[in-house]
Amino acid sequence: MDALIQFLFPKGFHYPEIHVPAFTGHPLFSIGPVSYTSSHLAMLLVMAVLTVLAILATARMKGVPSGIQNFVEMVVEGLVDFIRGVGGEEAVKRVPLLGTLFLFILLSNWISVVPLLTQTSWLHKPTADYHVNFALALTVFVLYQFTGFRANGFGYVSRWINFSGFKEGVLVGVIMVIVGLIEFFSEVFRLLTLTLRLWGNMFGGEITLGVMAALLIVPGFALPFVGLELFVGLVQSLVFMLLTIMYFLFALESHDSHDESHGEGHAQGSHGHAPAHGHAPGQVAA
Amino acid sequence: MEFAGLAAGIAVGLGVLGPSIGVGLATAKAAEAIGRNPDAAGTIRTTLILGGALAEGLGILSFVLGILLWTRIG
Repeated sequence: MDALIQFLFPKGFHYPEIHVPAFTGHPLFSIGPVSYTSSHLAMLLVMAVLTVLAILATARMKGVPSGIQNFVEMVVEGLVDFIRGVGGEEAVKRVPLLGTLFLFILLSNWISVVPLLTQTSWLHKPTADYHVNFALALTVFVLYQFTGFRANGFGYVSRWINFSGFKEGVLVGVIMVIVGLIEFFSEVFRLLTLTLRLWGNMFGGEITLGVMAALLIVPGFALPFVGLELFVGLVQSLVFMLLTIMYFLFALESHDSHDESHGEGHAQGSHGHAPAHGHAPGQVAA
Repeated sequence: MEFAGLAAGIAVGLGVLGPSIGVGLATAKAAEAIGRNPDAAGTIRTTLILGGALAEGLGILSFVLGILLWTRIG
């Protein structure tokens, strides 16, 4: 055994040094009380890439697209078709928000597998910094609550504070109040899980890349995990967008049809077009 | 704090057990559904990704708990 170790590790066996990424970006400079971190810089890079892509694609638009315009049109069309398939026309109205979220998170996720980019101390993968994810989740949260209030009026609150069950008896009333409380806590929980799902996946991916690069000593053996990281990044940005669509649809759902359509939703869900029901624009208009 | 590392490992290991079973069951059912009705593959895939993400979120919470414990080591 000793001979084997002596043969494999002529300089003696040492545990590999594993580079563990930081939870957040480290501060680069500060203006007043606000310090700007390496995540900010990486976000600026992502935004610059997206902006330049958009400007290049729309600079000389042609009737028959080619080159970069063709590519961007393909991406946008695919995105709109996907969103329409999931959420119907109500979701298509919100493509500017959803598409921006998707593209921003996608590029932020993929920035970490570009060689020599986030390995420097100047850049930190934005979605592996929970402040960024919390900001995204908070934006979505505020927007869908606002949409719910605008669509349902003040009756939107009745899904959390509901005393109408007391008409049918004390027991039903108490159950309705408890259901409202659970709904309220699930709203707050959504904010938390939306943040932590993205952060956990992306930070876990960073750790995986670091650990595999350290354990698989031969250069290039960690490449399959880079592929895995690309896939996880795509899936997680899709998931963030899908959940945003779902939260918008739940907020738009009027409470009167809430209970019946809930039962229907399960029955229809098994037939495979769950979100298409009950969101006709006429029904939603308050 | 001397058992923090052990606690972190157990928390992540046990916490990931449930979601992994859940995601496995969901994927099995989705594969079955696509086999029965290949035309609905797109919708089934979307639903699968959504359900998988919701199940996975709880596993991720245990991962975050593990990280919080791990920062207490040493």
